[in-house]
Amino acid sequence: MNHMERLRNAAPAAPSPVRDRSAVFAGIVAGPGDPAVTKPTRLSRPARRKLTIVLVALAIAALTAATALGTDFLGWHDETAIINKPQQWESLYRAATRELTLPPGQSWPHRTLAPNTITGMSQPGGEAVAISRVRWECYWGKAIRSGDTAAQASAQAALADINAKHTLVAPDGSSENVAPPSNIKGPYEIFANDGGIQFVKKMYADAAAGRPAMLFQSCRANG
Amino acid sequence: MNPHAPPPDDAEARFGKVFAHFDPLVSYAARRGSSDPEGIAAETMAIAWRRLSTVPADDPRPWLFVTARNLLMTEWRRNRPHSQLDEATADPRHPPAVETTDPLVTSALRRLSPGGREVLLLVAWDDLTPAQGAEALGISGVAFRVRLLRARRRFQRLMDQRESAGDHSRIVEMESA
Repeated sequence: MNHMERLRNAAPAAPSPVRDRSAVFAGIVAGPGDPAVTKPTRLSRPARRKLTIVLVALAIAALTAATALGTDFLGWHDETAIINKPQQWESLYRAATRELTLPPGQSWPHRTLAPNTITGMSQPGGEAVAISRVRWECYWGKAIRSGDTAAQASAQAALADINAKHTLVAPDGSSENVAPPSNIKGPYEIFANDGGIQFVKKMYADAAAGRPAMLFQSCRANG
Repeated sequence: MNPHAPPPDDAEARFGKVFAHFDPLVSYAARRGSSDPEGIAAETMAIAWRRLSTVPADDPRPWLFVTARNLLMTEWRRNRPHSQLDEATADPRHPPAVETTDPLVTSALRRLSPGGREVLLLVAWDDLTPAQGAEALGISGVAFRVRLLRARRRFQRLMDQRESAGDHSRIVEMESA
């Protein structure tokens, strides 16, 4: 046996695989790819935000114009109080951020009401909850990729807290600007009763069970 | 937007061919003493996904090895105060020495310069051609071949010396027994 052959044979054995290769692959491609080879498939963040504001404003305006009555189902009702001042919106948003958490080292982004728009009283709090949720999802995804189990546990706990304390499901047939009974204090994110929150909970359960592809996807889409 | 860009599915298919080199990267990182070889390979692949347009489609290996090597250097720098440096390469700019399953080979490798050892191992363990190895190390093909030739000669000389020394010590042991 010559020396080069002996050198080849002396190579330490490859370590046994620990991580599931297909999960690693799915996790990577769920993240943002190279813009030069992947086409953007969704609206930019500012465009999505503008679209959301316009849709909410239209819904509220239509409802107000039609003098719609509240649904009054177990205290749920249509929200008729509106915000049209940025200062008022920011004040509610800031108050909401004090009730919520963000991952370590992160800070709340500045948000305000776009000029010439109106929205409901619960919308600033809802936006704060959504920001907190997405930040924790992305933090969790990053912790999964890096194998940081402590960070994974804190993200799971934070998201469980959001689901338990800051998430509501509106009754069937509720309007777009439905508001919960007045004894429920915000901030909260309201889901329609169409399986959305069940999907979110399943996504978290899957991620906790080692199938984080949808979590990565959620972070990619919303983060 | 690049009008010639393939759709995302094509990007994933293209990345799939790059990802086929995941296990060789794990082996590479493990053999260079990484504390988390799969993490190095996964991070390399994540970078490849984010910069897929810069990864040569026909032969991604040199690109992947360059990236993995940079990540390993970062890991070594981070862990250096806590890890044991090889006595032959105590210069903190150099990574810890490799371990092998053959003590004689380990001993000879430790006597090589870090640069000579790296070219030898890229060819012997990681199956890179000299052209690929040159690309991975960022040196010219000629420089790589010269370094490889010298490293092979020195490695052979060291192995011969150690084998002779081993034979001699066995003879001494037998005579004294």
